[in-house]
Amino acid sequence: MARTLRWGVGLLLVVSLTIGAFLLLPFRTWLPGGTVADVPTSQVVNGTAFNRLFPEPDAGDQLVFTQEKRGFSEARLKHGDQVKALLAISDVTTAPEARRKFEISDSRLQGWPLVEQGQQATALLVADRFQVKVIGQGEGLNAEQRQALIGRFNIRGLAALEPVT
Amino acid sequence: MSSVLERLDRLPRRNLTVLAIKGISTLVPGGWHNITRAEELISDVLGSSDPELIRQVRTRADALSQARHEGYGRALSLYDAVNRSQKAAGGLRLLANVGGALPLVKRVADLTPTSETLQAADLSLKVAAEMLAFTQVNGLPGDSFGDFAASLGEYAGEARVRMAALICFDALLPLGDQALQRLDGLLGGVGKRELRQLPAYAGLASMLPGRGDEAHLTFLRRGVDQWLGWAGGFSSQLGLSGQKAVQALESTLGPWQGGFKQMATFLDAFTDTYKHTGVQAVARRLVERAAAEI
Repeated sequence: MARTLRWGVGLLLVVSLTIGAFLLLPFRTWLPGGTVADVPTSQVVNGTAFNRLFPEPDAGDQLVFTQEKRGFSEARLKHGDQVKALLAISDVTTAPEARRKFEISDSRLQGWPLVEQGQQATALLVADRFQVKVIGQGEGLNAEQRQALIGRFNIRGLAALEPVT
Repeated sequence: MSSVLERLDRLPRRNLTVLAIKGISTLVPGGWHNITRAEELISDVLGSSDPELIRQVRTRADALSQARHEGYGRALSLYDAVNRSQKAAGGLRLLANVGGALPLVKRVADLTPTSETLQAADLSLKVAAEMLAFTQVNGLPGDSFGDFAASLGEYAGEARVRMAALICFDALLPLGDQALQRLDGLLGGVGKRELRQLPAYAGLASMLPGRGDEAHLTFLRRGVDQWLGWAGGFSSQLGLSGQKAVQALESTLGPWQGGFKQMATFLDAFTDTYKHTGVQAVARRLVERAAAEI
């Protein structure tokens, strides 16, 4: 008797766990770990809003968008088949630690803090919220060229962006 | 679940898969460099070997690949599903080839999907998986369809060796040199029954848009139509053919006596080219994003 009871309890446990798991399945998006840093997607600006703020490429160059997600948009600046640079705008809401490097920065571009990261990357923090970055690829760009590229983004438009819910 | 960069670190540096891709890469200008270390990839993208920056990028990349909404992990599970079924099907066909004479194994030979229609359906599933993975990894970049098409072309160009492997191993070798031209007709003959016979379909069905086999078939045909335009140009530009593919493979794998179809079966059963290059492609896009976000 005790043996059947044990089996019964065991089976009941298994069945109820399975049913519980199935009931939870539709709520998976509510569970932690779905989004970066568990920030709800509605608080992050969609990458679509960034696309029109990218600089117009020079004659002979070409801008190819490569990634677009919530809070992120990236494009490649190409000259023929050669990739010259990666250009990106991101919403730092999901990466607050990215703000820290700007705190000690003295240089400014159109009033916003500017930082060099290594030999090939330059970053600008706009409105304490949006990071504009240029990373030189291949033969690379020098710091002046990268800063000039950043300056050609529509920075005023970026500062005016609001998160759309 | 391990992150994308951990998977990259675990990729083999030298085995049959790597040799097969190396062989095919001799047909593609620019060649192929087998990147299997996350640090190497990060410093390549970032143009800097500062350990502190590399650590930051890596932390960010791991956070991104753990988040389900970002799709990097999902793209890898797509590649895994296709790879698993390719190996299963390849193994069965190998068994059929080897043991066709033995009475016991002959039953297996009768069961194995060897017809060209099935091969075409298999290829279309791989192409579909490729497109789904693209949208998972990159979203829908740009504001217009032109932007999107340019982005798709850019991705395919970056993965040239990967695409050449797909065209050679899954189209030209098993279906002959006219494979790309014949594919449309072959796919016309694919019905629900053929689709259901494919092991890959069971794994991918839940991730394909639309409900039911009919909707999935329509999606596959349209996806392949899109891809064929690009792949046709690509393969005629490089002059790809079954003969050239075998010669290129012989340069790294050693001499091959059998036919093209056996070669395709052998590669299906013993190599993970699709998964190997897939992990590398996803990892690069992930690192490009992480580098921009730190």
